[in-house]
Amino acid sequence: MSRKTWDKALFYAFAAFFVATIGFPFFWQVLNSFKLEKDIFSLTWFPDAYTLANYRKAFQSRPLMEYMGNSIAVSVFATLASMALGSMAAYALARTRIRGTGLILIVVLSVSLLPPVVIVNPIYALIRGMGLLNTRTGLVIVNTLFTLTLTIWFLVPYMHSIPAELEEAAEIDGAGPWICYSRIIMPLVAPGVFTVGILAFIQVWNEYLFALVMNPVRVKLVTVGLKMYESDNYIPWGTIMAASTVIVVPLIAMVLALQKRIISGLTSGGLKE
Amino acid sequence: MTKRQFGYLLISPTIIMFGLFAVYPVVRTLYLSFFEYRLQFGETMTFVGLKHYVNMLTNERFWNAFGFTMAFTALTVGFEVLLGLAFAQAMNKDYPGRGLLRVVVLIPWAIPTIVSGFMWKFMVHDQYGVINQMLRSVGLIRDYVPWLSRDIGAKAILILADIWKTAPYVSLMVLAGLQGIPRSLLEAADIDGAGPIVRYFRITLPLLKPVLATAVLFRLIQSFKVYTVIVALTNGGPGNATESLTLYTLRTYFDAGNYGYGSALASFTMIVTCGIAVCFLDVIRDKVEAGRKGRAR
Repeated sequence: MSRKTWDKALFYAFAAFFVATIGFPFFWQVLNSFKLEKDIFSLTWFPDAYTLANYRKAFQSRPLMEYMGNSIAVSVFATLASMALGSMAAYALARTRIRGTGLILIVVLSVSLLPPVVIVNPIYALIRGMGLLNTRTGLVIVNTLFTLTLTIWFLVPYMHSIPAELEEAAEIDGAGPWICYSRIIMPLVAPGVFTVGILAFIQVWNEYLFALVMNPVRVKLVTVGLKMYESDNYIPWGTIMAASTVIVVPLIAMVLALQKRIISGLTSGGLKE
Repeated sequence: MTKRQFGYLLISPTIIMFGLFAVYPVVRTLYLSFFEYRLQFGETMTFVGLKHYVNMLTNERFWNAFGFTMAFTALTVGFEVLLGLAFAQAMNKDYPGRGLLRVVVLIPWAIPTIVSGFMWKFMVHDQYGVINQMLRSVGLIRDYVPWLSRDIGAKAILILADIWKTAPYVSLMVLAGLQGIPRSLLEAADIDGAGPIVRYFRITLPLLKPVLATAVLFRLIQSFKVYTVIVALTNGGPGNATESLTLYTLRTYFDAGNYGYGSALASFTMIVTCGIAVCFLDVIRDKVEAGRKGRAR
């Protein structure tokens, strides 16, 4: 066989292995979410009968609808706040010659590297002091902080890449800084803001530590809610797999619909999970 | 309003946010680590100097957590980089079907860690786990193994689950690096008679170094703060075998109500993180410079 054929065979063998190992756990989760308990327990791969009972139980035994609502609200508002503050900060850092940009960038990078456990206790005390424990607002604030580092890092190079002449021309025509920002720069960076918004949304949706710590009793997000199905001596696997599928479906849909943007976002500057 | 004043106005919410919710908490944690401060004693704080640090360094549970966290970090990042390099090489080929690879790669990345933790917990279950079934059907094990109730088994499964979740993401970063390597360079080497292995080690790998350094820095720090996957899979067990530093710290804070000692543990985590960052100062300097001057990346 020629080198080319070998190369091709190797590629497809590798690709098959790759898709199988990455895809299998997700496939197994979805498959089992439709199985009867007896088929789950007997490890029957493809049983004769399938059921939606696990999904019914997922919504009935725990308030999954409420968890979803909380997660959607927190993710949407934190993402919007992070997009707004991040684009403002990135514009200031990249295009207005303010003092201390180096220092601010170092702080932003440090915060993005900082393990949450280092600051969780003082933040808990602050949020409690503000009366925001067990509220969605408290979680929005914390998640805005952690996604803000991402949006700033992503948008600063984006802002730099826009030619200075565009703004200069508008300034000569008498446009003030607000007009330059809102009418010239923002429309040009809007695609970038959107891309980083997707990454931020996924990050907030998946966050667990603060979602757990800051809401001991009331507002539960999906990640924390999922853990609620377990009890000490019984794990309802079918129900957990169904709830997991419900939690993951919005994300997978988003990933499939926006994969080009996500890949370009992940590979161009967004370095957080 | 001048443009510079406008800039200060735009950056001020971010500065307030970071000051209040990041800089102040870091300072507060360091400060509290020198005090005796417990939930059950109310608001009383007594200065105890380095007592918590001495206790920490003579505490077996701390060393267990630190040791496990270090081993976890080294093994996950090591495997993720190797697999990431291999996957990226495959994704960089021009054969039909590579689009599918790039979508599949995003699935583990997008799935919440807690969900992927439960997937793995289900798959390695001692009675209903498909992994036991597979291993037995190919003859690798005779009886089903309770992976998560064994010390080494639980650690290995956690590492595996983390690699599954993150290696695809590393491969995307490597892929971006590969695409930045000019094809002409590799073709020229081919004409000069360099084989594929020589080309990979002499041209591709050295040119990937900046991308790899960035990926390794971020992954080391992320892996070191491992927490969520443990909550889903083992909750630190069996015993304390898989208790990470973050899990130990959170238990000290919120289960034991011991804020002083917890702050010392948290400060230790920060010190290790800084240590990792210092090893990659070039990466950090590059990134900050790029942010200031607008060079690409």
